[in-house]
Amino acid sequence: MTHAPPPKLENVMVDSSNRRWSQLRDVTILYVLSIGAALTISGFLVAMTGNSAPKVLKALLDGAFLAPGRWGTTLSIAAPMLLVALGMVVGVKAGLFNIGQEGQLLMGALAMAFVGTKLQGAGLVLLIGGLTLGALAGGAYAGVAAVMRYRRGVPEVISTLLLVFIAFQIVGFAITTDWFLRDLDPNRPSKAVTSAPLPEGVRLPIIRIFGNEFHSGLVIALILAVIVAYVLARTVWGFKLRLLGQNVNVAQMIGVGAKKAGSLALFASGAFAGLAGAVMLAGGASSYRLTTGFSTNIGWQGLLVALLARSNPLAAIPMAVLFAALRTGAGFLAATGVDRKIVDVVQALLVLALLIPPAVQEIRMRRRARAAASGETSE
Amino acid sequence: MPTHSPDEAPAILELRGMTKRFGSVVACDDVDFVLKRGEIHGILGENGAGKSTLMRMVIGLILPDRGSILIDGKPCQIFDPVEAAKHGIAMVHQHYSLVNALTVWENVALGEEGPVDRAATRDLILSISERYGLEVDPDAHVRDLTAGLRQRVEIIKCLRREPRIIILDEPTAVLTPTESEHLFEVLREGVSKSGWTVALVSHKLNEVTQATDRITIMRDGRVVERVLTRETDAPTLARAMVGRPVALINEAAALGAATSGPVIKTVDRERDVGRDTESRPALEITDASLRAKDGAVLLDGLSLEVYPGEIVGIAGVEGNGQTPLARVLASLLPLEKGTVSVDGATVRTGVAGAMLSAGISVIPADRFHSGCVTEMTVAENLMVACIGKMSRSGVLQPDQVREQALTLIEEFGIHTPSPDTPLAQLSGGNQQRVVLARALCISPRVLVAHQPTRGLDVGAIEYVGDRLRAAAESGIGVLLLTTDLGELASLSHRIKVIYRGSIIGEMRRDELDMERLGLLLGGSQDGESAA
Repeated sequence: MTHAPPPKLENVMVDSSNRRWSQLRDVTILYVLSIGAALTISGFLVAMTGNSAPKVLKALLDGAFLAPGRWGTTLSIAAPMLLVALGMVVGVKAGLFNIGQEGQLLMGALAMAFVGTKLQGAGLVLLIGGLTLGALAGGAYAGVAAVMRYRRGVPEVISTLLLVFIAFQIVGFAITTDWFLRDLDPNRPSKAVTSAPLPEGVRLPIIRIFGNEFHSGLVIALILAVIVAYVLARTVWGFKLRLLGQNVNVAQMIGVGAKKAGSLALFASGAFAGLAGAVMLAGGASSYRLTTGFSTNIGWQGLLVALLARSNPLAAIPMAVLFAALRTGAGFLAATGVDRKIVDVVQALLVLALLIPPAVQEIRMRRRARAAASGETSE
Repeated sequence: MPTHSPDEAPAILELRGMTKRFGSVVACDDVDFVLKRGEIHGILGENGAGKSTLMRMVIGLILPDRGSILIDGKPCQIFDPVEAAKHGIAMVHQHYSLVNALTVWENVALGEEGPVDRAATRDLILSISERYGLEVDPDAHVRDLTAGLRQRVEIIKCLRREPRIIILDEPTAVLTPTESEHLFEVLREGVSKSGWTVALVSHKLNEVTQATDRITIMRDGRVVERVLTRETDAPTLARAMVGRPVALINEAAALGAATSGPVIKTVDRERDVGRDTESRPALEITDASLRAKDGAVLLDGLSLEVYPGEIVGIAGVEGNGQTPLARVLASLLPLEKGTVSVDGATVRTGVAGAMLSAGISVIPADRFHSGCVTEMTVAENLMVACIGKMSRSGVLQPDQVREQALTLIEEFGIHTPSPDTPLAQLSGGNQQRVVLARALCISPRVLVAHQPTRGLDVGAIEYVGDRLRAAAESGIGVLLLTTDLGELASLSHRIKVIYRGSIIGEMRRDELDMERLGLLLGGSQDGESAA
């Protein structure tokens, strides 16, 4: 792990292929070291609670993939996480950090619940309308942050976060209010206050293969991941978005105004989270009913997925599956007698382990850039 | 010509052979300097002449590569400002180091050791204020103060330690003329009543001639002259300050063509005569005015026009409105008053992309801030200005992008391993070529070049100059904003001088008069009316 001195141009040209290899080697070593460390610490933690690490690992794998029907469940959870992550990616590329997905997701689910339970129409129309309106609701909710940012200079990191807590209140209001979404059916299965369930026709079709089943929201998410990757890499719109994220001044100079393009990016970012909420509800989360705790941290975890995928829409796919697997795997831990909170710790350690190598790379690159810059300018 | 003071006051500070290099640039080259007790000593020079570097070595902010410092005849080493303060040396910097959110007395107390004593600090401020006529309210918040008052706070901070030697670095840069005069009165009083010795770093001729006893003139890191203020005048100083270009340009003009170094071929004089009256200006700026958020005037009724095929050079000391002007022309800032028009059509200011689509390309002074996108590849940077051409119904055409990149890389001689190399990996000169290629590849009507050769080596400088000249020859109106007088003189058909946000003088290339230029740069309105 040699620290390169500030590169001279000739060196850059000669060494570029050499350096790419040595960089790749460094990155691999870093990943192996940090993931190894995370697993070792996790193993110690499990041992401290009086369990054996292999047993815990087996429980996790069973819960996530191996036991009958489990990988279908994992994929059902991965779908909304991936959607949330895609929204995060769109924002980050434009230089905007929308971290309020949990709230935007709730607003999307709320819109879906409203369309599905309160409007009349053909099932498919309601389903598509609900998903669309869900996306729009999530986008509009992020749009509040956009207005605050570009009108009053409120950082979107703060406003999107705080809007999450308001979203919880709005959902709470909706499902406890008789004329709104509250389920008034006297024969409802539980006494808990929820919305009415989505009618049969307004649910996402279930895909069944190899004894597993998952909702077709996964297909939507995968298609969108490919589309987002394509749009960002290959279209004018994606290029302008990236330009805005990289250099506001150059963007403004060539006609990409931060206000307009940035608002659009925030809206799109929220729309993905809103769609995630609508997909969760129509995909059967909490028995097709909107509840107060409906979002179950999917918004936060989708954010981590995007972070770990380093804002690469395609890399977000395996990361989403990994995070979904940790969740479903944790469900089986209880049987081994291990506190399921330990999974949260393991998850956090893994996040750190996966974030350390890119962070190290980034710091090195900056240092190199700074060294190059200071070698060049004076006075 | 160097004269030494006849009145033999003892030297309080003496610098011998001070040398400091930054990379390949020699900021100070074997500089000798003597400060005599009880004098106000002006250190005059253009931007980058080495004045500030020299003074920062005295205060210990920069360590010299070579040279010695003698205080009261005794050699000593100054490693940091604390050490300097022990020797009674204090400096008032060009950029203030005040905390805006704190009050005046809190700012003054910041440098103190031990517990904060509000009453004592306020008393101290009031007594200094009274003694030197530096009135300021100790309880005012710094953020509410004008630039002049902030400087008073800075000076009070400096006086609190009762220094013997006070160094002021471009103290009047942000002051109004009245504030400047007041400052000089304060300095005079301090010298006569409290035994101060003052070193005043400046590039303004009139204030140096008004306020000082002796003047040391620096150019390119060397002392070129030492004079007694009463034995000189502004024109002489101007000539000394810009020294070398005078000789260079006169020679070039006499021979009809320049042959040496990065000086570009002399402009064809036939071509620019009479051009002004015939055609419509490519770029016309009328009565442009703009203020900063804190109320400071950035542009003040600035008007200028650039005709197709000519290079108009804007001369000026840095900070007189060049950057706001360039930012307005890059759609980055809106004007408060006035208009910008291209080929007679008014362009809206401050609207994203408006200037570019009207045909104004800008090469900004700060590459990283607004010139290029270092995280993107060379090819991506080259397509920034013409995405429309590189795409079909919103989808980028990679082949076209690559092809254009390869063409421009070839045409502009950009050294890069491939079009897909991140721009950050290129050298400064090559990054600047990318910026230049991007600015020219859209065939603009107007090219604005702001410090286009800053930080480049000689070869690259020559290349940029050639390109600008070629652009003008192809009928583009070129506006060149630079502080490099040599560059201005060798490239421009007409030279205008910018001072405090407005144009205060103009001369054609063939009537170039370095003495008058020097006076204009220092803000003196000359007698003869600008054409």
